[in-house]
Amino acid sequence: MKIWDNLIDDIGKLIPTDVECEIKMINSTESLTRFANSHIHQNVEEELTDIFLTFHADGKTTNLNLNITSMGSIEDIIKKALSDIGNNPKDSTWPGLTSKENSFNGYKHISSDDPDIRAQKVKEFIEQGQTYNGAGYCSSNVSNVFVWNTNGLNSSDTATSAFLDGIFRSETSAGSSHIGNKILNDIDAQKVGQEAFSITKESQNPEDIDPGVYEVILGPDAVSTILVFLSVYGFNAKSKVDGTSPIEINVEQFDEKINLEDDPHKTGALNFKIDASGAPKKKIEIITNGIPKNYFHTRRTANELNQSNTFHEMFGWGDSFGGLGTNLYLKPGDISKQEMISNVKKGIYINEFWYCRVLDPITQVVTGLNRNGSYLIENGKVTKPVGRLRFTQSFMSSLGQGNVMGVGSESRFADSEFGEGILNVPMLHLKEFNFTGGVSG
Amino acid sequence: MFNEINKSIDTAISLGAQYADARILISKSRDISSKDGELEDFSNSENMGLGIRALVGSSWGFYATYDLSDESLKEAGKKAYLIAKASSKVPGKDFPLADVPIVKDEYVTPHEQNPFKVSTTDQIDLIVSSTHEMKKIGSSRAFGRLNFWDTEKWFASSQGHEIYQNIIESGGGISSLSIGDGETQIRSYPQSFGEYRTGGWEVIQSFKFLDHVERISEESKRLLISPQCPEGTRDLILEGSQLALQIHESVGHAIELDRILGWEAAYAGTSHLELSKLNEHKYGSPLMNIVADATLPGALATFKYDDEGTPAQRVDIVKEGIWTGVLTGRDSAAIAGVSPGGMVRADGYGRLPMVRMTNVGLLPGDSSLDEIISSTDDGVYMETNRSWSIDDLRLNFQFGCEVGWLVKNGKITDMVKNPTYTGITPNFWGSMDMLAGEDEWIFWGTPNCGKGQPSQIGHTGHPASPARFKNVRIGVRG
Repeated sequence: MKIWDNLIDDIGKLIPTDVECEIKMINSTESLTRFANSHIHQNVEEELTDIFLTFHADGKTTNLNLNITSMGSIEDIIKKALSDIGNNPKDSTWPGLTSKENSFNGYKHISSDDPDIRAQKVKEFIEQGQTYNGAGYCSSNVSNVFVWNTNGLNSSDTATSAFLDGIFRSETSAGSSHIGNKILNDIDAQKVGQEAFSITKESQNPEDIDPGVYEVILGPDAVSTILVFLSVYGFNAKSKVDGTSPIEINVEQFDEKINLEDDPHKTGALNFKIDASGAPKKKIEIITNGIPKNYFHTRRTANELNQSNTFHEMFGWGDSFGGLGTNLYLKPGDISKQEMISNVKKGIYINEFWYCRVLDPITQVVTGLNRNGSYLIENGKVTKPVGRLRFTQSFMSSLGQGNVMGVGSESRFADSEFGEGILNVPMLHLKEFNFTGGVSG
Repeated sequence: MFNEINKSIDTAISLGAQYADARILISKSRDISSKDGELEDFSNSENMGLGIRALVGSSWGFYATYDLSDESLKEAGKKAYLIAKASSKVPGKDFPLADVPIVKDEYVTPHEQNPFKVSTTDQIDLIVSSTHEMKKIGSSRAFGRLNFWDTEKWFASSQGHEIYQNIIESGGGISSLSIGDGETQIRSYPQSFGEYRTGGWEVIQSFKFLDHVERISEESKRLLISPQCPEGTRDLILEGSQLALQIHESVGHAIELDRILGWEAAYAGTSHLELSKLNEHKYGSPLMNIVADATLPGALATFKYDDEGTPAQRVDIVKEGIWTGVLTGRDSAAIAGVSPGGMVRADGYGRLPMVRMTNVGLLPGDSSLDEIISSTDDGVYMETNRSWSIDDLRLNFQFGCEVGWLVKNGKITDMVKNPTYTGITPNFWGSMDMLAGEDEWIFWGTPNCGKGQPSQIGHTGHPASPARFKNVRIGVRG
């Protein structure tokens, strides 16, 4: 890409030889068509080129983040950065730059999608809802990332993604569905609309039930929420460094049916194949037969914990966040949704969780609510839709030994509180889940 | 700069947009974080670009670009128009924009010392020395952070607005984490995630971090050996920053008109409030007086014009317990038939402006925290937020705080850990029976309010003083 080539050409010539420098660039076009009350009300596109510079000299580090328009002269940028460095204390955990041998060339020129295609997908979704009130979004993104450093590394990659996420609302109910794909044209809007419509219809006139401990079947979006919380607050090695992670490597902490891997090379995987250090990502095991196998490391956390780097640095997030897997797959089982329901004596089906927050990171006790489709299951059959419930439940225990009764046979990309497209998961049947409040508090 | 913006606007209008407005922003920020007496991150950021929105029929089209060349500015206007036009495949009803004064004006946040002109050594020394002191006296982990923003905005519209604003915001905080056997306890100052206001370096100096390191370090350690917060129904006394978040979640979001109209239904949710019950619905007790006031000097959401060019103002939201007002934009106000309140802002040049809380605060009462405690026979006093969760109607909430103190027979007795409380919005606010006065009224700031798709982070303010709520369910645990 010409902007990138010019940038590293200019900067490369001006960096003093005793200074280590890393430059990252994110160039993307993010488009999102939003609808509510069954019509499109917001339709946006943003083109951005953000540049992230890190300088390390005399044992000190500074970061400078700019977009291409605010850069001004490259000489001034370097002068400012080196002046900032002088004021900083020593950086005792500086992990160094990625070596030249890790260079990866994945950049491809891809144009952004026409807004008419997104509008058409929205139309197809809304038509499935008949008289119900539709709301949601259809997005499509093209993102390019580049990393260069004074070790001679020069890496790039391109990723595309498209999502359709929507709900229908009746007077008394709501139902949601979600789909993700690399290519907007491959999004099956009618299928997503049909699923949301069915859930909305079946969820009408919900009844309140008493809070308590119930068996649950969790839909993919609810499963995704549990796994993303465990990923961010547990498997993220930064939380281990900070002393707040509950995850212990090679200790039997989860049910043996839980197998989680991070695989950027899987067919259909979204997101980049390099991390923000410029190194290619590898397929790694996160949980195998219930046993944690790896944290998500950055260069810095790997250094601090004296472990091997797993290359999970995030573009644009900085060292204070840590690392996160972005191609997470929970291995499917062999149980269909109907079989799973028929295995429940008395329990609740939860389509989606909402507004989950951690009460204590080290126990992963989380509170949140259900929404967009919940049903009571009695003696193997769905008997009635149920209303709002609040849970207060350890996410570690929810997937703990003996608590996972079954793993669904079908997987899909699922939404989560930390963004879509990073988790591909099936449904789960859990033995116990603690609901601590109902509609009346 | 206005000439540049008008190139985009003129293009959108010439193609057929009913209305267009645009903003060029130069946004600077600085993030400094420290852990255990070391500098963890020092980052300066700066970006510049234009965002234009065009109204065609019933939809906004929005396009943002970093490229400010003539050709690109005109192309941005064209794209905003074409994106809006694409929405006509799934049209709604056309809507007007509420009238607002067409002004040409300038505004700079009052401040004493621009934080970007203060020595970075002083800034780093302050936060590193604070975490160093906490670590030295036994915190398992000591965290500190400072954040500064200097945002220049040029706003113009096809109706003739030309407004320049320079908004300066500063904030930060410190936390002491203690790690025990299978648990962690944390204490923060001035509040969890830091305290943020409009203003300069003087905001940070006013916090006097070093005067508080010993207290929060000792309290986080003491929490590890303290008993659990008891379960049951008791009187609840909330410290101001926790009450500020309670206002944010159970009032601020519920009164956003875009939510009430269903525009956020699929993501952030809607609201339990129905417009037909405005001026009738009982939100809380007669002590409850909420205003949205973007004119409060020094509060985090203070400015002179919002991102639609509507003047900042004070709007009554709840008067003596009755719901009287909503947060509006020019589009939602026109649809609902209410006055536009100057409450639309965007997260940078790259995001579509949307309804945002300003300084949504609870007006002070005539009591004091001391009086509230001395008149409480059996209650818990909770300080500093630790977790928050509320349903998508903004009714069913559960909050956790960093520390609780048992109150018995008018006196604070024991410290308790993991305090939580839960409730239903109108019942909870209806139970407020004592409210501290102006001496304890603080302009708390929330710098991390998420809303919208694509995601936007908003800066909101929530003035509050301590208050008491009767018969609240506390001590919920997993």
